[in-house]
Amino acid sequence: MASRALALLAFLGVGFALSMSVSEYSLRLLNLAAISAVAVIGLNFAFGYAGLISLGHAAFMGLGAYILALLTTRAGWSPWLAAAPAVLGTGLAAALIGLPLLRLKGHYLALATLGLNVSFGIVAANWIEVTGGTNGVARIPGLALFGHALDGERAFLWLALAVVAILAILASALQRSRHGRAMMAVRDDETAAAMSGVNVTAVKVAAFALSAVYAAIAGCLFAAHVRFISPDDFNFAHSITFLSMLIVGGEGTIAGAIIGAALLTFLPEWLRGLGESYLAFFGLMMLAILIFMPRGIMGLALGLAARRRRPAQSHTQATSAVAGKAVRP
Amino acid sequence: MADLIQLMTNGLALGSVYALAAIGFVIVYSATGVVNFAAGQFVMVGTFAGVATLLNAGLPMPIGYAGALVAMALFGALFYLVVYLPLRASPIVTVIIGTVAIGITLQNAALLTFGSWPFRLPSPFEGMMIELAGAVVSVHALAVVVATAVMIGLLWLLLHRTVIGVAMRAVAQDVKAARLMGLRVQGLLAFSWILGAVMAGVAGLMLGPMWFADVNMGDPIALKAFAATVIGGFGSLPGAIAGGFFVGLAEVLGASYISSAYKDLIAFGVMILFLLVRPQGIFGEPIQDRG
Amino acid sequence: MSITRRTILSLAAGAAVGAATRPAFAAGEPIVVGAAIPTTGPLSLSGKQYFNTLTMAEEDINKAGGVNGRPFKLVVEDAGASNSTAVSAFVKLVQESKPSFVFLSSYSTQNLATAPEVIKAKIPVMYAGGADAVADNAGGWMFRIRPTDSVAARGMAQFVKTLKATKPGIMYIQNDFGQGGATAAAKLLEANGITPVGSEAYGQNDKDFSAQLLRLRQKGADVILTFVYPADGALLLRQIKTLGLKTPVIASSGSFLPASVQLLSPADLENVWGVIDTFVDPSVGARMADFTTRYKAKFGQDGDAYGLAYYDGALILAEGLKKVGPDPQKLRDFIAAQKSWEGIGQIYSFDDKGNGAPGVVVVKAKPGTKTLELVERIRPS
Repeated sequence: MASRALALLAFLGVGFALSMSVSEYSLRLLNLAAISAVAVIGLNFAFGYAGLISLGHAAFMGLGAYILALLTTRAGWSPWLAAAPAVLGTGLAAALIGLPLLRLKGHYLALATLGLNVSFGIVAANWIEVTGGTNGVARIPGLALFGHALDGERAFLWLALAVVAILAILASALQRSRHGRAMMAVRDDETAAAMSGVNVTAVKVAAFALSAVYAAIAGCLFAAHVRFISPDDFNFAHSITFLSMLIVGGEGTIAGAIIGAALLTFLPEWLRGLGESYLAFFGLMMLAILIFMPRGIMGLALGLAARRRRPAQSHTQATSAVAGKAVRP
Repeated sequence: MADLIQLMTNGLALGSVYALAAIGFVIVYSATGVVNFAAGQFVMVGTFAGVATLLNAGLPMPIGYAGALVAMALFGALFYLVVYLPLRASPIVTVIIGTVAIGITLQNAALLTFGSWPFRLPSPFEGMMIELAGAVVSVHALAVVVATAVMIGLLWLLLHRTVIGVAMRAVAQDVKAARLMGLRVQGLLAFSWILGAVMAGVAGLMLGPMWFADVNMGDPIALKAFAATVIGGFGSLPGAIAGGFFVGLAEVLGASYISSAYKDLIAFGVMILFLLVRPQGIFGEPIQDRG
Repeated sequence: MSITRRTILSLAAGAAVGAATRPAFAAGEPIVVGAAIPTTGPLSLSGKQYFNTLTMAEEDINKAGGVNGRPFKLVVEDAGASNSTAVSAFVKLVQESKPSFVFLSSYSTQNLATAPEVIKAKIPVMYAGGADAVADNAGGWMFRIRPTDSVAARGMAQFVKTLKATKPGIMYIQNDFGQGGATAAAKLLEANGITPVGSEAYGQNDKDFSAQLLRLRQKGADVILTFVYPADGALLLRQIKTLGLKTPVIASSGSFLPASVQLLSPADLENVWGVIDTFVDPSVGARMADFTTRYKAKFGQDGDAYGLAYYDGALILAEGLKKVGPDPQKLRDFIAAQKSWEGIGQIYSFDDKGNGAPGVVVVKAKPGTKTLELVERIRPS
């Protein structure tokens, strides 16, 4: 418990310190990273805990973003108010889609969710009367708290950090509850979970819907921050990016989700100095990370920590602690 | 009627390309269990291998094509060494993301090498047209369909009538048993990657003259190849072919008779439908867990 | 060595000679101008063109003495392939290089996404995206250096009358550019009493257009207007000929960019008119001939209308910097006040929405060749 509270305080502390010291450009990147972190913590429910390979996560983010954008620009709603139907509607949609879809497993599910993402893009680009087509939706109003407009990257970052913190606390509480354990049981062995009385379908659909809810929140933040959305902002490349963030950070861990989101947001920008070849290098670096750090950064960190706690003692105990997924916080 | 023949020919030609891309994808999947998300980039590399040999080096066509296919074989072997081997014990998602990452690198490397302008690959049937019941059809399109059929026939011969082909099928069925029988599993896996790459290369060389070669052509092809594989049956070669032709025809006929804007939705919609109702596709065996 | 009078005199003489022959732009702090343009990814097809011309402009301006003796310094950030990366590039430029002016990309969605940041930063920018919606969100700080999509579309519709066609069909790419163009063209046609017989869309990654073309043929179209990008535009022209369609084609500028023309054969260009931003060809005049020869010599490719637009834009900017200095507000006012600035490609006249290029030209390939010639200049109403 203490380590969790400590991690949270560290996160908020570092976030606040950065918000006061870095340039506007880095603040913008931090905001993008925070928005991605919300989405990836959500993806962690579906993939990290429940083992569902979802390559359509960006579509849920897009659904939330579009609902908010259309309600605010066409019907004049305030963004705070519009967020409610955006988030709840997306969650509901995910639950309905999940019911038939989540019978699939492994790469079949991956391809199905990929197909969904692509379909979402096609509809968003072609249903011009509703979505504005590829011109997107512009002039989305920004957020305002108690009359003060959250103009500028710094103010938005404070809001984003608060949102990430609250959502992380909720996610952590869920993970330690029996619902979280049910998800992990389903991930590890569906048959055994069913035989222990877990309602596998309900657990999977709940995980999927919850991940969509988080994605929709990220979508709302995105829409209110950039003030312009278009179908390309939610294509399947973004879904793959979210999954990569989770894996690089360390799947099954909330800290990993946040770290992965930050790293993969900043890495391409840091590599800008390489000029035209920076994307080629980015791909190679990703591959290297996957080969040499298969459990992600958090996996590496936890492995080192476990090994340090039990120095000479039973080597088998230490390795099983590293290998056992149940040990992750 | 003439219009229908025209549409059917174009749909079949398109379908042949998707079928070949899907075949390359399925060969790798059956043997190694890897879902290669860079399958589209494989085709793109094949097309640009053609650009390098035929346009940049100006070699005569037979040598140019052969050279490009040799390059693709080498590329397949390289991919096996650099991407497959290090990741072979990793969970499936890691491998998927790994292939995506390499796909990004391939795309950008191609951009750096060849620039962003599209290229026009020459065809042995440049400009030739024939009349078919009132419809004017390009000979290249017909040649693509025929060539695909020939490739499929050769592939069948390889897999069913040669020692190495039978060994590959054994590895695809059960890796442990194959190893116990004394088969050189690693070598066969490498050969699968090489074969998959060569198939993708053939697809790329054939569609180069039809579509123009550009470095971003890979992703849309991959999506259609996935749809084709799902519809036809994952892990099944006849399935890949049937699926490919279905997607190609659905695209062209759907554009004509239903809606040109939403026609891609048809292919993906059918794919999702199959996944929900009959995940093994048309020809697939019931889904087993891979080792 | 001991310093004698002679040494001092010779040193002074040497300094004087040095000062006389010293390049004119050596002194002073550079004036920084930013460019958030795509140098990687699929958008670099055009992006590379204006990256080249902006670099060329930087050299030319500095060779001619810079801006009142101060060097003109171009800082480029890759706008990448998405809206997000384009905005990041702009913000990075503004934060780190503190430019007086920035060039944006030629992609409307990137322009739309960057607009709020431009208004926040209060820096004038020039952009080349064609969607009319961008000007509606420009807040007075954004200047378009190419004709809008609707101007081009109306030019195409006007040319339908010149060809005396009465049953036009429309073929367009399914995105903001294609949709906008198709709608604008249809509106002008109907205002002139001509109803389009059909309007067919195709997806951005489509490679086969036979379904749409055959449908237009069935409906009896006697001319086809196309709203395309270079790669698909070239493919479309080829497929029109392979299907045996003899219908004349009025194509949007994408088909006639060098990137597209290099893919076509003279037969593909038969009976095809292009409505393009400006005719980039030495036959237009001395300054154009100079531009095209130098571009080809430097970069090994033919320059195109996009590159030229940014080059002209850089020259307008340079004149503004010389006349009113690097203050962003004064620069903005200077550009907005230009009502007949003679560029190499266009006569620029900025309206109150920031649109600066009111005219288009119609070109056609000389029969049997790929050499283009100018047919007429249109300034659509």
